[in-house]
This record gives sequence, C-alpha cells and structure tokens, in this order.
Amino acid sequence: MILPLVPFLLLSFAAILHAKSSTGDSVLVVLEPSLDQNFSVFFDGLRARGYDLTFRAPKALTPAIIKDDVPSFSHVILFAPETKSFAQDISPQSLVQLLSLRTNLLIALSQKQTPLSSLAAEFSLVLPPPGTPVISHFPERDTPASIFPVDVSASNPILSSTKAPVWYSGISHSLGNNPLLVPILRAPVESFATDSSDDSGAPSIADAAEKGGEGLWAGGNMGLVTGFQATNGARITWVGGVSVFSDEFANKEVIKGKPSGNAAFSQDVAAWTFQETLVLRIDETTHHKVNETTPLSQYTTNDVVTYTAHISGWDSGKATWLPYSGLKDIQLEFTMLDPHVRTALPPVKGSPGTYSTTFRVPDRHGVFKFVIDYKRKGLTALQSSTTVPVVPPRHDGYPRFLSAAWPYYVGAISTSIGFILFSTIWLGGDVREMKKGKTSKTE
Amino acid sequence: MMLLGALILLAPLVHASVLTLQSPRFTITSTNASQARAEPISLVKKASPPLSLGPTDTLKITFQVIEKDSGNGVQPHQTFLRFFDEVSQEEGIQPLRVNSAGKAKFELNMAKPPLSLPPTSKDPLKVTLIIGSHLHSPLKVELFDLHVPASHPPPQHPDEASFHPLPVIQHTFRPDQKLPPTTISAAFSALVLAPWVVLLGLWAKISPRVPRLFSPSIVPFVATLTAFEVLLFWYWIELKLGQVLLYGAILAIPTVFAGKQALVSIGQQRLRQK
Repeated sequence: MILPLVPFLLLSFAAILHAKSSTGDSVLVVLEPSLDQNFSVFFDGLRARGYDLTFRAPKALTPAIIKDDVPSFSHVILFAPETKSFAQDISPQSLVQLLSLRTNLLIALSQKQTPLSSLAAEFSLVLPPPGTPVISHFPERDTPASIFPVDVSASNPILSSTKAPVWYSGISHSLGNNPLLVPILRAPVESFATDSSDDSGAPSIADAAEKGGEGLWAGGNMGLVTGFQATNGARITWVGGVSVFSDEFANKEVIKGKPSGNAAFSQDVAAWTFQETLVLRIDETTHHKVNETTPLSQYTTNDVVTYTAHISGWDSGKATWLPYSGLKDIQLEFTMLDPHVRTALPPVKGSPGTYSTTFRVPDRHGVFKFVIDYKRKGLTALQSSTTVPVVPPRHDGYPRFLSAAWPYYVGAISTSIGFILFSTIWLGGDVREMKKGKTSKTE
Repeated sequence: MMLLGALILLAPLVHASVLTLQSPRFTITSTNASQARAEPISLVKKASPPLSLGPTDTLKITFQVIEKDSGNGVQPHQTFLRFFDEVSQEEGIQPLRVNSAGKAKFELNMAKPPLSLPPTSKDPLKVTLIIGSHLHSPLKVELFDLHVPASHPPPQHPDEASFHPLPVIQHTFRPDQKLPPTTISAAFSALVLAPWVVLLGLWAKISPRVPRLFSPSIVPFVATLTAFEVLLFWYWIELKLGQVLLYGAILAIPTVFAGKQALVSIGQQRLRQK
C-alpha cells in the first residue's frame, strides 16, 4: 500500500524544492499549431522548475486568458509569431490589461506583420519592415547567414547561467529611449536586417539606408531579445525569433562537442520574465532619533535621525524571500515638495537585508517624507514613502542659559535673593531698636 | 568573444576565397588647407596619429574589394563602415556603395554630416570596415580612430536620470547664532551685581540686629517664601506651566498660614513693646 505512494511523495517534495516564481506558477502557452519546431527542452525545463503549463491554440476559445477581469494564469507565453487573427480574448488590449493586472508575458515575433508586432511598437520597440530578417556573415561558419551565434554579455545579471553563445534566427528591432526597456540580448555588431538573400542585393541595402530615418536595422545597438518592466512590476519580454527556444537550437553545437547556450538562455529569459530572478521588495522601514529606538510621530528641526530599510530578494531556489544586501547604490531622500536631503542608504555590515543611514533633519519645518525610489534596469522597482512632520523646537526646547543673557539671569536671581534677604531681616529684625538708632542718629 | 574567436578557427571553412582591399586610401581636405592629409590605409595597423576633422573638413575613403587569389574586383553583400564611440557606446553604421568592379568611395563632409554618424563627444570614434558576403569569407578591418567636432548629446528620456544614482543633496543649514564674548557678558553681570556692594556696605554701617531670626514663628514663613523663589527658578529650567500652578497652589496654603502666624507674632511683639 505504501510503496506506490513513495514516488508520489518524492515528486511532491521535488516540486516544493524546485524553483517557483514570486507571483505564481500557472503558465498558459499559446502555441501555433503550424510551427514546425519542437520546444520540449524549454517546456520540460519549465515543468522541472515547478511550473504548471496549460496549452492552447491561438484560435481556441478555452481556457480564457482573462475572465471577469481576473487573469486566469500567472504567466502567458505567446508562441504564435505568424498568427494574424487570434481568438477574441487575445488582443493587444487584453494583453496590456493582463500586464496591468501583473501577469507576465513572453511574446515571440516573426518577420510577418501581426497584431503582436504592432503592439511591440507601443513598448518602444521599432521593428523592421515585414520580411526583413536579421542576418550576419560573421563568424565564418557552415550555417545560412540568417542563423548565427550571438555572444552573451557576461555582465548581464539576467543571463547569469548562460555561458555559451546562443543560436539566433529571426528579426532584430531598434530600441526607443524608454528607460523601462531592459535589453536582454543585443544583436552582433556585424549583423543587419535585409530582405536580399544573395550578394547581388547589395545596392538595395545602401538604398534602404539612404531613405533616411530608420532605414537600416544594423549594428550592435539593435535588440534581439528585449524585456520591458512595467511600473507595477509586471514583465513582458519580446523575442525576435521563436526558434531561440527550439529543441533544434538547444541541441545545436556552437563548437564541436560543446552545446549552445540556448537551453540555459531560454530558462534564464523565462526566469526573469516570470519574476523569479532580480525580484526585490521592501519589507519594512523604520526611523528614530539617533541613540534611541522608538520611532517618533514628529521630529524637531536639526534632530539627528536614523532611517533603516529592510529589503528582501526572492530566492527562486528556496521559493522564499531572503534578506538581500546586494544593492550598493540605493538612495534615501528627505522630501518636502523637493528633496531637501538625498543621501546614500548603504547596507549595514553583519546584518543582512538592512540598509541604514543617519542624517541631520533640515532646519525647515513642514511635512516631510522619507522617500526610497529605487529604479534600475532589470530589477523590481522599490518604492517607499513615510510621511513625518518636522516641527520647530517648543518654547522650552531652546537652551536655558545663553552666555549673552548672563546679566539678565544675574539680575533676576539677585533680585530674588534680595527680596528673601529683606523679608528675613524685616521679619527677624528688632523694629524698636532700629527706630531708636535712627532717632539717635538724627539727634 | 574568445568563444567566437575559437569558433572562427574551428568552423569548417566553407567560403574558400578570401577577400582583401586594394589600395585603400583616405584623404582629408580642408577649406583652410591646414589639416590636409592623404595616406594609404594599412590593414594591420591603425593610422597614427588618429585622424581629426574640423567642422568644415571632408574625409574621403576609397578602396577596391578584390578576391585575394584572383585579384578580381568583387561586389560584396555587406560593406558597412561602423563608427563607434567606446565611451558613450554610441554607434553609427554607414552602408557603402560598391560598384560591380568592387570599387568603393565614401565622403564624410563634416559641414553636412550623414545621419549615420552617431552623436559624438570629444572621445574618438573607432572606424571599422565590415565586409560580409554569401560567397566569400567575411572581412573586418579596423581602419583608424577619428576625432570629429562634438555634437549635441543624444536626446534622453525624461525619466532616464531616475534609473541612475542621482546627485547627493546636502542641506545648507543656517549658521549658528553668534554670541558676544563671555568676558563681556561676565563684565556686565558684575555690573549688575555691583549694587550689592553698596547695599552690604550700608548694612555693615547700620548693622541691623536680627534677634528673632530663628524664632519658630518666623522661620516657616521665610522657608516657604524661599520655596516660591526656588519653584520659579525651577520653572525656568524645566517645569511646565501646569506643574508650576499646581505646586504653587499647594505651596500657597502653608505660606498663607505661616505668613499669618509670622505677622501676628510680629504684631503681638510690637504691642508688647509699646
């Protein structure tokens, strides 16, 4: 009886141990039936990391991606690069609505004009005209010019586990200057987009460039895979060619005996898109006067105040939030309309996840805010604002004895002493004798 | 990059024929003819010193793409001139027109810079020639470094600055209040105390006698009066108004009785002395 249960138990343990996204593990895959590629390496990798995949054709009616304004899945993969008409519930508008409901999207494009390629323009991606794939003659190799390996930048934190070059085939896009864009994979320097497939097409390339404007999609500033992080934290990734995720490219060797980086790359891209990696949050912020521990409801001008923030990062391996001390350039602002103080908020040594700074409150009274507004490409935006009034000192909050006022203090105190002395002498003195003395003097 | 380098070496060489450039030259013509320069371009070494263009100068590059073995002119698929600023990472790609005999000519007139020239700063642009072909091995030649007049910086998104560390702001505090030297304060305090000398001197002359100083009817009243003065001093240092009124009210009760007793005893004594 127990034996058949064991594998099931192990499996459920494995599911707990495996990576999961910080926002949920249900994934809808909208897969074009006419795609002649298999993505089993990619999808099996997702399942092994704990995702629950549901498949659907672009024109199928169920399962709906959004129902009664509630998204049905945590993440949506749209591998339908050539589909021109989708079922009614998949439209550019509904995809934008999904994003605003914090659903993450992974969208593949192709050289065909589809509703998705017009949506890409709304995310500051400028796509080349239809039918112009990106090609590269470098390096010299035995594959067609439209299939080329791309070096992965080692400094990109999104692609931390991708070590080998990635095979790519598809389109490139130029990036607008929107800071919410997160370039994941840049085009090689030598690559360019063209619709000519042999050397006799050379003049048309020069012609295209001379037309001006966005005439030529060429060079290392073009993007191949580009992410976009909405201000609410939802992530959307645009991929110029669905074959990056294919089994064929995952198993294709770049150098003899060494597999390509596609398998690791596609998992890295999915991990970032599905908010597994580079996800942060502020757990708690506190403030108090230096050398005290309890927060005050208001501060006095010129108080020295300590501000502390506790920041956690999502650990997909343990599927939990862990204190994170890796942010080096976080800043704290003390703001009344404009920031009056902006100072670094460095991590505290020996106390993971704690960032703290001490500063002197400005000598301006009013309603101030402690503001953290930390935005960096690829990282979750961290925002926190705590309102605290700053008041001038109370009437008894000033120093009591100023050296400039010594004569006044001395005058007041000597008057008091004089009063007591006179009272004592008058009460304790002998009236008659004094009278006698006086009269004797006058005599 | 190392992996790709190894890849180039290891990949089976499908494109047998290799391309090269014949008689590559650059010429700088200047309106005031001061910086004019014309030199052949070396394929292995960058021109030294780096080229530099004034705002009205013109750079002209000419070369012929040929097959290395046969020497025939070739029109490759891709003939790009790449301008790259390594500091700002700005890049510009200029496709060159190559005729069927492989001859190419490019003119860069700084009075009318082409759209492909990236936004420039005072850092040099690295100029690279990229030649790619379906039939031949690709060729990439670093031609020279080029100094051009700085252009306007590229337009930035208004929110771009908030994605980088912002400049630190320190509040400028009002300067501390200036106090006069303490010696002056001390001197004026001494001046305030001076009447005591007169008072004590006169008292010493008349030497009033206080026979009833420690009389039990007088001492309590003097003590409560002193307590009132101490209370007011205490108020100055730390007490709040409510506390002072409370303590003062409590203190007033014994003071009234002690005062009455003291005045009555003085009155009785005076009656006795009459």
